[in-house]
Amino acid sequence: MSRSSRLILSLIYWAFVVYVFVPLILMVMMGFKDSKFIGFPIKSWTLDWYLSVFRDAETINAFFYSLAIAFGSTAISLFVGTWIAVLLVGRSFPGRGLIFGLAILPALIPGIISAIAFRIYAQLWGVEPGMGAIIWAHAVHNVPFVMLVVSARLGTLPQSHIDAARDLGADPVVAFFRVTIPYLRPAMIGAGVFCLLISFDDFVRSFFLGGYEPTLPVLIFAKLRSGMSPEINAISSVVLLITAVLGIWAERSMRRLNKGS
Amino acid sequence: MSGTMGTGTGKVAAATVADGGRRSFWGAVTASPAYDTMVDVLIASPRRQFVMLLMLPLVWVLLLHLGPMLQMLYVSVLDAYPATAGREPHLTLDNYGRFFREAIFVMPFMRTLVFSAVLTLVTLVLTYPVAYFLARHVKRDNQLVFLLLLLIPFWVGEIVRTFAIMILLGNNGAINLVLKTLGLIDRPVPFMYTGFSVSVGIIYLTALYMLLPLYSALEKLPASYTEAAADLGAGAWTRFRRVTLPLTLEGITSGCTLVFLISTGVYAVPVLLGGPSSTVFAETIAGFFHAAGDEWPTGAAFACLMFVAALAITAVFNRVMGHLQKWGRK
Repeated sequence: MSRSSRLILSLIYWAFVVYVFVPLILMVMMGFKDSKFIGFPIKSWTLDWYLSVFRDAETINAFFYSLAIAFGSTAISLFVGTWIAVLLVGRSFPGRGLIFGLAILPALIPGIISAIAFRIYAQLWGVEPGMGAIIWAHAVHNVPFVMLVVSARLGTLPQSHIDAARDLGADPVVAFFRVTIPYLRPAMIGAGVFCLLISFDDFVRSFFLGGYEPTLPVLIFAKLRSGMSPEINAISSVVLLITAVLGIWAERSMRRLNKGS
Repeated sequence: MSGTMGTGTGKVAAATVADGGRRSFWGAVTASPAYDTMVDVLIASPRRQFVMLLMLPLVWVLLLHLGPMLQMLYVSVLDAYPATAGREPHLTLDNYGRFFREAIFVMPFMRTLVFSAVLTLVTLVLTYPVAYFLARHVKRDNQLVFLLLLLIPFWVGEIVRTFAIMILLGNNGAINLVLKTLGLIDRPVPFMYTGFSVSVGIIYLTALYMLLPLYSALEKLPASYTEAAADLGAGAWTRFRRVTLPLTLEGITSGCTLVFLISTGVYAVPVLLGGPSSTVFAETIAGFFHAAGDEWPTGAAFACLMFVAALAITAVFNRVMGHLQKWGRK
């Protein structure tokens, strides 16, 4: 490959990096603006907006509400997603393709359509809008993701590991919990953290299934609609920071565990 | 989990001895008679083991993956929902008819499909060189770091990223400030609340779903293929058109499918970044759910229309790409 085309391609890559990062950097910066109005130029700077995030009860409540939903839905998705992966990997039976297709269906349904389908379904079962409804919607949305990640890992588990455990006298249940599950752990941790992030940052499902208590993204949305101030920048920047740290940590630990075994 | 069903004897020893003679958790569990009975019942035969394993996934996917879609389809053919007391709902196709009768709905519908298709194409053209650079020009050890750099912003949810675009494009936004400082404009350019701002927002949201499939397709492509083509005298453009592009069609297909489907269902972006001239169908659908309950059937019908249209388009697209792939292999 010639040197000039390499140069052009690397320029395009870095331009893309800039495109992806600049809006977020500007957003973080705007949180330091000493004025009630969002907009450039920034003439004087302040820490007040960031400090007030940690004093604002509404924001703190929304944060913990979102966090509880994220953990609840992730636990369910991990359990069900792993179960489906164990059923489907290395097994052939009539209807396997159908179950696989249905299992990944939620990942293919556009956001608004899945949100309102859930809204109608919750009504059918008499589930009130609120935490429970959001947890179920997020769990269903994340199951395909867990299933795919865990299946990929499960597909590389050597049958000899299981056979060895069985030869040593472990029954299938013990072999599963002492051999298969530890082998799947990196995939489950990685998938779990991404489920947490997806649920924590989800807007459209939380919006249509939420009751009076807002999740953090719904709260930011409501604040955006009622008028912008750098306070929203500060909240969003804190969300950005948490998300980035968690994501990088998950990526690293997943890769280290993958290498280690 | 195949092979003979050894339930009973040897496992207790194995589980306990494994931890140096100390009674482990599993040792304690497997020693109990209740466990023995349970295992005997659950996995007495491969067949029963399979049935046990099958039940939860089957119930889950039917009840929670398929159920909501079927219920939405059912509600879409009712004349009233939620049902009012003392009156049985009737089946009707009128909700679908409303879409074709009232002209105000067709425009957002068409706009959504055309928008999504165009944006998918733009995203493909934007991210292909990025994926190509990552897969072919970055050293293998560094590829993950370079990729991670792009991944970080995409983990942040749609609201935060949409808000970031508002700050970029607003009348007092960064771009207008730069243009003004350079003396190119006197008054701010109204980027916001147009099709343009919605497009920027949607691409910002979906680019990753294009980038990752492209990257994995390009990464799998051995460098020797293009080297061989070069040895045979093919120029850079010919190598790309005759070797790289045909062999990454699969990645292109899955990236485009994902981005198209996501784009049709984006709600927060058009609400926050769009204006009256860029209303998309997601907003139309949502409108029926903010109002009183009796609009739900129409909203459900419109959601079904949108989903079927989006699926049909991706199906046709996948067929065409499949043929292209076959044709390219000849």
